[in-house]
Amino acid sequence: MKCDKFIEALGTRVKILEVTRQYEDQVTALVELNDLPEAVRFLYYDMGGYLSTMIPNDERSINKHYALYYALSMEGGKMFAGDEIAQDEKCFVTVKVLISPDSLVFPSVTPLVPACVWYEREAYDMFGLVAEGLPDKRRLVLSDDWPDNLFPLRKDAMDYRYRPDMKDHYMEPEYEFLRPEGSGIIDVPLGPLHITADEPGHFRLYCDGDTIVDADYRLFYQHRGMEKLAENRMNYDQMGYLAERVCGICGYAHAIACIEAAEKAINLEIPARAQAIRVICSEIERLHSHLLNIGLACEVTGNYNAFMHIFRIREYSMKLAELVTGGRKTYGNVVMGGLRRDMTGHEIKESLRILHIIETQVEEVWDAVMDDQRQMKRWKGVGILDKQVARDFSPVGPNIRGSGIKRDTRYDHPYDFFKQIQFDVAVVEGGDVFAREMVRYMELKSSVSIIRQCFELMPQTAIIVDPKFHVKPENYALAYVEAPRGENVHWIMQGSAQKVFRWRCRAATYNNWPSLRFQFRGNTIADAALIVCSLDPCYSCTERITVVDIKSKKSKILTNKDLKDFSKTLKNSPMKDLR
Amino acid sequence: MMKLLDISKKYGEITHKYPFEPYKVADNFRGKPAYIYDLCIGCAACGIACPSNAITVVFNDDKSKLVWEFDCGRCIFCGRCDEVCPTGAIKLSEEFELAVKFDKSALIQRGELDVQCCTECKKPFSAKRLVKYSFECLSKANVSEKRLEEAKNYLCICPTCKKTATVATFTSGKEMVIE
Repeated sequence: MKCDKFIEALGTRVKILEVTRQYEDQVTALVELNDLPEAVRFLYYDMGGYLSTMIPNDERSINKHYALYYALSMEGGKMFAGDEIAQDEKCFVTVKVLISPDSLVFPSVTPLVPACVWYEREAYDMFGLVAEGLPDKRRLVLSDDWPDNLFPLRKDAMDYRYRPDMKDHYMEPEYEFLRPEGSGIIDVPLGPLHITADEPGHFRLYCDGDTIVDADYRLFYQHRGMEKLAENRMNYDQMGYLAERVCGICGYAHAIACIEAAEKAINLEIPARAQAIRVICSEIERLHSHLLNIGLACEVTGNYNAFMHIFRIREYSMKLAELVTGGRKTYGNVVMGGLRRDMTGHEIKESLRILHIIETQVEEVWDAVMDDQRQMKRWKGVGILDKQVARDFSPVGPNIRGSGIKRDTRYDHPYDFFKQIQFDVAVVEGGDVFAREMVRYMELKSSVSIIRQCFELMPQTAIIVDPKFHVKPENYALAYVEAPRGENVHWIMQGSAQKVFRWRCRAATYNNWPSLRFQFRGNTIADAALIVCSLDPCYSCTERITVVDIKSKKSKILTNKDLKDFSKTLKNSPMKDLR
Repeated sequence: MMKLLDISKKYGEITHKYPFEPYKVADNFRGKPAYIYDLCIGCAACGIACPSNAITVVFNDDKSKLVWEFDCGRCIFCGRCDEVCPTGAIKLSEEFELAVKFDKSALIQRGELDVQCCTECKKPFSAKRLVKYSFECLSKANVSEKRLEEAKNYLCICPTCKKTATVATFTSGKEMVIE
């Protein structure tokens, strides 16, 4: 069976207490708490794994302990040609440890595997689990005015409807940025709201003259608490629709990842036609997302002409989504057991016509952009992600493929219909902005070909099976989908009565952020926005704004409370003092 | 640079004059759910299926009407209501222009249905139309006149009273006659 080789090898290093199998390619090994860093390091560097996700879980009602699951995607180090394990051996190995609720302490893996840093910081925010030896102990996910001793994802901490009293704006603790030592270094703040970024995220750039020496950032400006919302409350029917709302662009990938995690936990196989249509829709989403990002990368460098052309083509991808699913975003289609909407002959014919338009016009515009020497000068050699940094931090998607590492979930762990489809993984050496945009362009072409193959190979079967629920509390499984930004990994542990006990949703950008710091170093301030853009980040919405009235020369900070009060009552506008 | 300008020349003007020129949506477009009051029987299937609780079916305060209410601001346009409605009273329309004035009530659509009172306890328990619909379904199902008349009375009893009657039948020791 798959994975046995890795478990055997792991057994020679550390003592394995228990091995459980969730799915044909997923195994969990329970190890002792002190062996955790060594076990993860061994699988990560010696056996060629990448950290997919880490799930802290409150299992006190099951086994009186907290648990941590480090899920590693075993695919080979891929640092040089040939350093890759055989296709039929690739799998997911999860290292599990139990933490006593009395001590709440576990040894940190971050000093050995840097990729764990954000996960371990989040484990403290959400569960109060302390990583001993973690170099960076600042708050990550929760806002700065959140009470210190309230850990929201603990089962007994709070109801999902509870909103703790926020500290007053002036009492709010200052977030400590990691500042490099040295004289003549100045801070340049970028954001939380910045003209070149679509969403809020605060970047603190440390510059010597025009060159960025180091950078630090504060994100999660509005963490929506979806994991808490879903637990013990929503059924699987509603979960899919909630997961779609994680992201405005890769929503479909989140929906299928979430639903497939639930399907894998009960070992449910969906019909082949449904698998094919799921692939078609997620590829349409990729067309849409990559066109958006290439367009924005042109816009940030001031090439509005190319930006307009690419957005004109992007309109066709939205037409395509409208044709296939009924909405201009591919939403509301996935349910447990399959899909809700089939494709007819007319739709397929029309889709093929639109695909042809996209393919020819993208090529035309891309050729013109390539010809533009000024555009190339802005892209080449900017924001380099070193191959070794990429290996250490497990980024995903075009971000890592632009650094010459061949990581693609569609190729490494073929899910759904991908077992039957031929495509080339787009890998470009270089690691700069140009390489990442090149990967996106190559993927646009492969997406078109994947959709065409799906139309050809799509069998005439039903699109939904009746899910026979064998719900066992404590059943869990991992599902993985290659979204436009990279691999989305969802982990679901089932609870009783068709409800979810714990849902861990890890979006692609979560793995990409920690290595961004290294991409900033050595570039100019003018390129900072472009580097963030080339990552194709996905961050969420703001919590407060400052209004400056030029006429009356007054300014006012609108707090979270002001805006909330106003939206509840629609009276006492927070702007009235300025009029 | 010049190449890009050449492409612009090739495609000319592609902007839609949107508010003045209607946007043509695809067939099967999923827009705002359109509610047909005359077909609604108040069965609440849509309210149960709705994942975002945009549709609610509840009695009003004095229980004189069964109120079907749809809040467009919460709708996610998934079309579950369309799928489950037994009479086709909800269909997703092609309408996508949903902007309203800054007034929440403009997003809410409401339909009030007459209620059916239980013949035993006189309390309202369902919509009149639902009882009528159930009866019509039975009458089409090739049931004898006598049974139909029984069913008519039976349909007008609320679930609580039905339970009480069943328990009473069992405890009284009478033999139950099952045809």
